[in-house]
Amino acid sequence: MRLRQPWLEKFALYSLLPAMVLGLSGCGGSSSSSTSTTPPTPVNNTQAVEVNFGPANNYTNGLFTDVTICVPGTTNCQTIPNVLVDSGAEGLRLLSSAVTLTLPTVTDNSSNTLQECYGFADGSYVWGPVAGADIQMAGEKASSVPIQLISDSSQFPVPSACTSGGGSNENTVAALGANGILGIGNFRQDCGSGCASTSNPQALYYLCPNSVCQVASVPLAYQLQNPVWMFPQDNNGVLISLPAIPDTGAQTVPGSLIFGIGTQTDNALGSAQVYTTDASGDFQAVYNNIAYSNSYIDSGSNALYFLDSGTLGIPDCTDNPGWYCPGSTVSYTVTNTGLNGTSGPVSFNIANADALFLANSGNNAAFNNLGADSGTGTSSDYVDYGLPFFYGRNVFVGIENQPGPNGAVGPYWAY
Amino acid sequence: MKTFLAAFVILLLGSTPAWAVLGEYENSVTTDQQHLHAQLRETARQGYSVKQLSSADGRTVTEYVSPDGLVFGLSWQGPTLPDLRQLLGSYFGQLQQAAQSRRQHHGPLVVRTKNFVLESGGHMRSFHGRAYAPGLLPAGLSAEVIR
Repeated sequence: MRLRQPWLEKFALYSLLPAMVLGLSGCGGSSSSSTSTTPPTPVNNTQAVEVNFGPANNYTNGLFTDVTICVPGTTNCQTIPNVLVDSGAEGLRLLSSAVTLTLPTVTDNSSNTLQECYGFADGSYVWGPVAGADIQMAGEKASSVPIQLISDSSQFPVPSACTSGGGSNENTVAALGANGILGIGNFRQDCGSGCASTSNPQALYYLCPNSVCQVASVPLAYQLQNPVWMFPQDNNGVLISLPAIPDTGAQTVPGSLIFGIGTQTDNALGSAQVYTTDASGDFQAVYNNIAYSNSYIDSGSNALYFLDSGTLGIPDCTDNPGWYCPGSTVSYTVTNTGLNGTSGPVSFNIANADALFLANSGNNAAFNNLGADSGTGTSSDYVDYGLPFFYGRNVFVGIENQPGPNGAVGPYWAY
Repeated sequence: MKTFLAAFVILLLGSTPAWAVLGEYENSVTTDQQHLHAQLRETARQGYSVKQLSSADGRTVTEYVSPDGLVFGLSWQGPTLPDLRQLLGSYFGQLQQAAQSRRQHHGPLVVRTKNFVLESGGHMRSFHGRAYAPGLLPAGLSAEVIR
């Protein structure tokens, strides 16, 4: 239990509307929701997901699902379609324009609403208030979860630190390509202890008294939560299961997001190997005898972002910049090693992206062999296994500090 | 009050390094108050020097400086992205242009132009990347040193 009493006292200034207080004190106060003595009755833990072009009709390799949110403790609910499933992030973020419910916001004791700036590696970001909602998926329900409402107004000007990555404010369907992002990655919170630090909190959360936004230190329980670990059961991770697809791509790909790992008959590890990650969610990938130690698996990345054209000896595309366009499909094998020493090869193909995007009259949204430039040879210290990695595999995402099968404890990947 | 005190103590103990800007001379930049919490480590290499700044929130920025003091490259790692507007200076506009005009990609960002290269990857809790000005590399030096 990381949220100890002294923290609660120190952060007594934070208050929530009544429904939120109940839910969050439950989250912070119990040591683990998986320690109950009587096993819960199995619930439907399978959420339908699909790869398609998404609501902006232009997303390549985007994995989408529907998420139901409710005003905490009520049956006043709304189902938001076309939410991107992102294993490289934590927490639910929804375009405020897609939410018709009035949700209670997280405030300090001066009624200043907690705001968040969440940035991505490409410099783009989302900005907006933190609110509380019950989250329902399949038969699972997480109560009073802090989520982000991505702001489409300028109630508070976006802090300069939020825009210093150089990218776009993804606050519309056109910009985000989705109605929201469902972060179901390796961690309980989106930020963790770095944002709870009182001396040097990371610049994610803000309070904006008098419309001047300043970085706020926020205890774990008030940060955006991975909803999965807040389920009463099936809360130690997820299994993303997508079928294999043809090498020329597929128009849509139906699949499953299954909650829990080894908690029901449908989410056993089976033959999957467990690769534990470092404290940041990364592991080592070795290609051509060079180790890339910050490698990761990310359903929210839409390609295999793998080194650069010079290192791989294949050309970049001319029609579609940043993608690879080999004359014929090339196979690569990379060896992944977890922190626990588990090691195994991963093989994948990279095909000509110009040709892929033209196949089936341009109607394919899913490709298992789409590769992109991520950096120059030995200076790039990662391989980003995006959605192509997931086709034809069962990929398990183990959440930090949550016990899994065979003694596995998150953060880990298993496949 | 506690927050204020803690920051004050670190300020007194830490050095007050200037954060240099890509393409500018390291002595031409003013000290950035926001980054006073950083600790500085300098290393001389064959034909250039390396200036590494580690800030208290876990971010590291490494600057690569030519013998005459010009910042020709930089790299970063940390739980959040660094302030690229400040670090890239006049090159920031090229990053903005590339990042905001990019289509179809959802993942790491790579910018390659004749006078500016940027590679930015990772995810929350673990970002890493580098940027450099190819035309400013000291003669005979490979961009591979920037990592």
